[in-house]
Amino acid sequence: MSEGKSTAPATPQKPTKKMTRPAVRLFLVGGVIALAVGFLLVKGLGSSLDYFKTVDQAVSQKQSIGTSEIRLQGTVVPGSVTRTDTGATFQVAGGTKQVYVVNSGTPPQLFKGSMPVVVVGHFQSSESATFVSNQIMVKHTSSYIESHPERVKAPDGTVH
Amino acid sequence: MRQRLNKALGPVAFVLVLLTVWLGLFVTPPDVDQGELVRLVYIHPALAWVALYVAFGMAALCSVLYLWPRTRSMVFDYLAAAAVEVGVVFTILTLITGSIWGRPTWGVWWTWDARLTSTALLGVLFLGYLALRRVPADPHVRARRCAVAALFAAVDVPIVHFSVLWWQTLHQGATVLNSNLTPTIHGSMAWTLLLSFVAFTLVFVWMVIARYRIEVIRVAGQDVALEAAIASRRAEGVPS
Repeated sequence: MSEGKSTAPATPQKPTKKMTRPAVRLFLVGGVIALAVGFLLVKGLGSSLDYFKTVDQAVSQKQSIGTSEIRLQGTVVPGSVTRTDTGATFQVAGGTKQVYVVNSGTPPQLFKGSMPVVVVGHFQSSESATFVSNQIMVKHTSSYIESHPERVKAPDGTVH
Repeated sequence: MRQRLNKALGPVAFVLVLLTVWLGLFVTPPDVDQGELVRLVYIHPALAWVALYVAFGMAALCSVLYLWPRTRSMVFDYLAAAAVEVGVVFTILTLITGSIWGRPTWGVWWTWDARLTSTALLGVLFLGYLALRRVPADPHVRARRCAVAALFAAVDVPIVHFSVLWWQTLHQGATVLNSNLTPTIHGSMAWTLLLSFVAFTLVFVWMVIARYRIEVIRVAGQDVALEAAIASRRAEGVPS
């Protein structure tokens, strides 16, 4: 099969003065796809290309953030977790900065000290170092480590 | 030889999936942080691997081979279509298993971070490809249209892959294909993960071959039906 440019008009061209039914359908399908893609772009990429601010970013931008809702990412400081009737309070650290989080709502099951987390909420005031949150998400790492490392040695002897 | 390979492919894929299930559920140890939840690592990444790189990679390659005048053949059009169809199934399964994994580990079923959003977009784009194939047109016109659409949609594949590096996301980075190519997974877990990639890739190949054959038979059937219709019209026109 050798189709060059010279054989291109071999397919009969239909007169396209009126929109034929397939053409209408094509435009409908195209429109729906464009809408769906647009929705995803605006909803997803537009508002959160970066999903969160790290603790040191948030602390340094505190004046501009004020009390508006953000997602804050940091590592739970070991030993700082106190379970309360309505949730938990703890410190999250990122870089050299720390923020005190007061959370209401049940933390996810993997939540514990030294886990990286994303908390959703806002600073109590633009001066306050207290962050009021109503949702904790655990941002686990991409490392998978056996919980009984003494049984099977890691291939290169290291544990990340 | 080729037929024997084809016949063996299905059972081999099935046995490897069973082996993955056995190793994943009973042999490998729990993770220090995730505990038993880590066992989803033997399903979810393999599904995503097949959908993104194998299926949509193959669809993009076949589309280029169709568009390139020297290699233009309907074979590549059918292969691209089969790869996309199976790839969309694997994309949906990736989203479902990811959601099931996300609820207990992250604490949410779904969130609009860059990795999740771009993956959902990928699914929508290739669903659009499948819708485009349903639009009635001359086979070669449809093949060209769809090849262009597949290349357009495939642009999202590297965006999905690099989303965890380009933006801050809730989704973790790559375990195996990370920037210094040092897998951060150990021992029997790593081998089972590798096995799951091989097993699901073979399942994909088996499904694509089956789907390709169905398409060839369908087109051949259409030709037969058309000839029969022409013959019957001719017979009507003959004055008795």
